[in-house]
Amino acid sequence: MLNVLRLAWLSSVRQPGRTSLGVLGVAAVGALLFDMLLLSRGLVVSFRDLLDRAGFDVRVLATDAAPLAGPRILDSGTVLATIGALPEVEAVVPISIRSVEITSGNAVSPTDRLERVQFIGADPQARPMWTLVEGRDLSTSAGTSRPLLVNRTTAARLQASPGSELSLRGRCGSTSSVLPPLAFTIVGIVEFPFDDADAETVAGQLLDLERLCADDQARGVDMLLVRSKPGEGAERAASAIQTANLGLHVVTNEELVERFSRVEFSYFRQISFVLATVTLFFGFLLIAVLLTASVNQRLGEIAALRAMGLSRWRVVAGVLCESVMMVGAGAILAIPVGAGLSVWLDAILRALPGIPTDVHFFVFETRALFVYGSLLAAASIGAALYPMRIVAVLPIAATLRREVIG
Amino acid sequence: MAIAASIAVTAQRAAGDATGVPPGVLLSRQLMESRQLRVGDVVRLSAEPSGARSRLFRILGEYEPTPDPMRFAQRRLEARLHLPDILALTRPPTEANAPATISSINVALVDPSDADSFARDLAVRLPGTIAVPTTAPNERTSTFAVIERFHLAVAVVTMIGSAVFLLALMLMLVDERRETVGTLRLIGFTRSRILMQVLLEGTLIALAGAVAGLLFALVMQDAFNRFFQWRYDTALIFLRITPGVVAQSLLLALPLGIGASLIASWILLRQHPLALTRR
Amino acid sequence: MTTPIVETRHVSREFPMAAAPVTALSDVSLSIGAGDYVAVVGPSGCGKSTLLHILGCVDVPTSGEMLFQARDVTSLSDADRSRLRLREIGFVFQRFFLLPMLTAWENVELPQAEAGVGRTERRNRTAELLEYVGLTKRAGHRPAELSGGEMQRVAIARALANRPSLLLADEPTGELDQRTGDQIIALLDSVHADGTAVVVVTHDPAVAARAHRLLKMRDGQIVEGGS
Repeated sequence: MLNVLRLAWLSSVRQPGRTSLGVLGVAAVGALLFDMLLLSRGLVVSFRDLLDRAGFDVRVLATDAAPLAGPRILDSGTVLATIGALPEVEAVVPISIRSVEITSGNAVSPTDRLERVQFIGADPQARPMWTLVEGRDLSTSAGTSRPLLVNRTTAARLQASPGSELSLRGRCGSTSSVLPPLAFTIVGIVEFPFDDADAETVAGQLLDLERLCADDQARGVDMLLVRSKPGEGAERAASAIQTANLGLHVVTNEELVERFSRVEFSYFRQISFVLATVTLFFGFLLIAVLLTASVNQRLGEIAALRAMGLSRWRVVAGVLCESVMMVGAGAILAIPVGAGLSVWLDAILRALPGIPTDVHFFVFETRALFVYGSLLAAASIGAALYPMRIVAVLPIAATLRREVIG
Repeated sequence: MAIAASIAVTAQRAAGDATGVPPGVLLSRQLMESRQLRVGDVVRLSAEPSGARSRLFRILGEYEPTPDPMRFAQRRLEARLHLPDILALTRPPTEANAPATISSINVALVDPSDADSFARDLAVRLPGTIAVPTTAPNERTSTFAVIERFHLAVAVVTMIGSAVFLLALMLMLVDERRETVGTLRLIGFTRSRILMQVLLEGTLIALAGAVAGLLFALVMQDAFNRFFQWRYDTALIFLRITPGVVAQSLLLALPLGIGASLIASWILLRQHPLALTRR
Repeated sequence: MTTPIVETRHVSREFPMAAAPVTALSDVSLSIGAGDYVAVVGPSGCGKSTLLHILGCVDVPTSGEMLFQARDVTSLSDADRSRLRLREIGFVFQRFFLLPMLTAWENVELPQAEAGVGRTERRNRTAELLEYVGLTKRAGHRPAELSGGEMQRVAIARALANRPSLLLADEPTGELDQRTGDQIIALLDSVHADGTAVVVVTHDPAVAARAHRLLKMRDGQIVEGGS
């Protein structure tokens, strides 16, 4: 076997320019293939991670419309109590998100068009789904009238910091609220997991949000975030909520991810599949052509080896080894190239509007590496099949005769 | 306007409906197929998730939704109603006499190039309204700008891989003619003379290859569009090869092909003729 | 009477062509014994090389029997014929066919490694063969660095690597000048003198004259010197 490998290696390096180019070419297509495999599940993995990090594994909505896009949950107090009493449930938090206008504060002049921000109303005592960066959280702001958390973008634009005052007016229906604005005190600066790079988001108590939107005809909360008890799991908690027959739509994180994968992320799955297929075919085709041309140039030599007594499988195995070596070298080189390329492509795609800053399109998984290796291994074998066949059926005598005449 | 619709099908022919013939509605093809509805059927539409305050409508026809690339993966379960009907359906019961509100008004100008000035004028005349030309940059256009950059990045990497392989293939093809080239040099042909020959051959091969590639792309365009239109049940065109794309492809392929053959030939021509002809 | 190394009985070889089949060999019967030194001569296209290929088990006759050390070769599998060539037959070609990426040493070592010869024995045998052909000092050179005569000597050393009972040479001096060709023929004489049967296909009368037996061929048949 060593002899086969050694001869294959020497055959490959006897034309270093050609072999180097073949390896580089495989590296280029391999890098793209690797990235497409990362992209095929990257968004799903990243989104799942984001949902899990928020600390809640079940969501309850009024209907099966996308979160925040459908009607609200009415009579939320009763619903909260019912769900909270379930043995499978550890915590349940109502969430509402409305658009509000900043009517006064730093960097807001009377002539400025009123800036809108998203206001997340939540129970201050529940474990928050945001990360505190500076100041205090809502839960430790008892005594502060209308505490408010802002994200970094909002804080920077308003030149605000913990202790700053801010005046907000609800924009809960299709027009501005007719109620007077309410004054809030910024107690902390936080990072919201679902914010995109330009998002301006604030968070406060649900009660304060309801006051801001007191004239909004549509009542209710947008959704309930549920955390299952350790040992129970999201499935059992969701099942228990459904059994409570509240007429609501219950979805686990896994189901949400699956839905997004099927609908919202569908484009990226499809494009990654198409590009991976095209790339693999391209690489296969070119290795096959390179190898076939190389074998055709050495037919006399191969016939002489067969005449000398080297067996058919021996010379065929040599061709296969050459293919595996070239593709293998290119495949190994492709991984760091692909990693760098994925950073670039990820940066491009993360500029899409509305994409949370913590979401990535290209996420490394060991599974992707395994699939990548398997695909390239199959491609190297497939690409070698035709040149192997040429060598296997080579008529020794006729080839020797032709070489003399040629 | 969006209606959180719950549709219950009643196949009655309006018998016993004291208000007369129900108003008409158009349903999307996808909705008709999903509920096995036919033109002429009477359906109930409601803006409430519970189905409360529903009204009867008669299906007057089926339409194919305008393909929306931002929503191509979503099933287009839609209905189109006359504006008074949708306003009546969605108005809260406590505001029966309140003025109607709508989301937006689409305006078609006599001269579309006036869009910017018209929008500005309208904002001044009607404070509080937002007038935006449809060609103005928005989230949709920036989304496609990002997608375009992504596709371009992928194309660049593919071209780099192609160029490398092309060079490797050219090196091999040129190497097969090393004895011929060596003999010509020994006879007295100059390097530039042989390169001119190679340039002509390379141009013809590159042109033939580019044309073959474009023809293949046209076939694949049809195949891809058919597949994805079937997959997502949409009329959206996913791939379109425009004259601009053809021109771009030719402008890239021709120099690549010619360049690769010239580089490969130059590598060979740099060697001494005796080295080329040595057996 | 000793068993011949190789024996053909009414062997014919036809090549199917588009126009009509071509009969390269027709009813050829001959035997080559141990210690024979045979030259095969004849005009171009008379079937000399085809006969050599049949004798060397590189090709299989269309009809007739071909026996190698009394074994019917025509019934052997391709793998068995390969093994036979590896251990019992040595080939020397007009165009040398050395592997260009291997040194002279490695070219000679290759068939031994393929035959499973141990490293020490390989080393000793390779050194012995290169000394035999007078190329000890050129052992580390690749074919591109050798002259035509030197390449042919390496090819002969390679052909002798596994101590074959039969050496087949197809126009071994065809690519060489007179002086170098003489050196190669002298080497073949030595090979024969050391006990290996040698069959040489040649156009060169000087080469043919060195053989102990002459086979003349015309139109696919042996017209003189056959058994």
